[in-house]
Amino acid sequence: MRLLYYPGCTLYSKAQNLDRCGRKTAERLGVTLDELPSWNCCGAIFNTGSDDLAGQVGPVRVLAKASQLGDKLVTLCAACYNVLKRARARLDAPGNKLERQRIVEFLDEKMERDVKVVHYLEVLKQDIGWEAIRSRVVMPLHNLKVASYYGCLMVRPREVLDFDDPDNPMVMDELVATLGGEPVRFEFKTECCGGYLVVNRREVAEGCSMRVVDNARNWGAELIVTTCPLCQYNLEIAQKRGRAEAQIVPVLYFTQLLGLALGLPQKDLGFEDNKLDPVGFLKEKGLL
Amino acid sequence: MNRTPEEMVREIEILSGQRIADCYQCGCCSAGCPIGTAMEPPPSKAIRLLQLGRVEELLESEGIWLCASCLVCGTRCPRGVDYARIAEACRLLVLRTKRSVVDPDVVVPADLEDVPQQAFIASFRKFSV
Repeated sequence: MRLLYYPGCTLYSKAQNLDRCGRKTAERLGVTLDELPSWNCCGAIFNTGSDDLAGQVGPVRVLAKASQLGDKLVTLCAACYNVLKRARARLDAPGNKLERQRIVEFLDEKMERDVKVVHYLEVLKQDIGWEAIRSRVVMPLHNLKVASYYGCLMVRPREVLDFDDPDNPMVMDELVATLGGEPVRFEFKTECCGGYLVVNRREVAEGCSMRVVDNARNWGAELIVTTCPLCQYNLEIAQKRGRAEAQIVPVLYFTQLLGLALGLPQKDLGFEDNKLDPVGFLKEKGLL
Repeated sequence: MNRTPEEMVREIEILSGQRIADCYQCGCCSAGCPIGTAMEPPPSKAIRLLQLGRVEELLESEGIWLCASCLVCGTRCPRGVDYARIAEACRLLVLRTKRSVVDPDVVVPADLEDVPQQAFIASFRKFSV
């Protein structure tokens, strides 16, 4: 199976481990992710102002580019998923015909068809299937208690994203169980990490992130998995700055955990880019 | 600007696509906001200020700049009011007077070196002219 793939800005630099593990695990599972040629940044956050058409041009251009090559676009980054999907919905809203016409006419790229934006987790569940993934696990994550942290961008706004149960999404938990691990129930799986407030109000973002980490830890999590480079950064850096080593819960991208279970070589897992080195912990657990 | 408070509230309604009068002040939004006590005014109080025509007070407040767009407030609102969009409309009114709250030229001290691009782009799009 070949699928069109949109990496986005952060996966080309600070989150190369999310990108590389995504591509390599897909390969192991029989899926080739074909990178969308000459893509541009989606904008990283969705602009909601009703007259703010300029903010829509970036993501709509990505959709137009993709429409020339396929009818489905896969994302790995939760923010790209959120922005592209909301741009798609805004374009398609019945009251927005004039706006759609103005943006589409502004672009050089022709909108050939309505591209569906999907997340790699949806590909794993719906296109590949848990059974097929389970059959390829070479390093089962036995006795590993994992909290799946979805954050905001995967599930809200609920009527547009329609990703999973918006209050209690389970896709990543199902993946953890498929890989032999033990999904941890915790209340804060869709609470905000503080997001981009880390740029100018770090203490506020850290407060949000620590609440998520503490909640997961109180429910017994030994490891947290994320889908978003900003969640990943916030959860790691807040702990690094504010917690004693003994209390730290390592944080991995879900693709890193998947890669570990599928037996990717350690050089492809990209642990050196994690802010909290998970290698010691994973060795202790017999996973490395 | 020289607009009446009523005109400004109307502009916020158009920019946000929300009706200010729809809010009946149950406070669900403020209770669920992850920024919590740091946000002043919190969502329900901010909407109350608009209902009372105290627009300038809200535009001068810090609260509208402390939103991370997590959308919990609007998701939980029993009246379907999306405060994140109202806050964005308020920010747009301020930003369109050419006043940035986050200045990309001064915001990058060494401890932000590792911050993902995504955070900078999002922050500048929400908080800078």
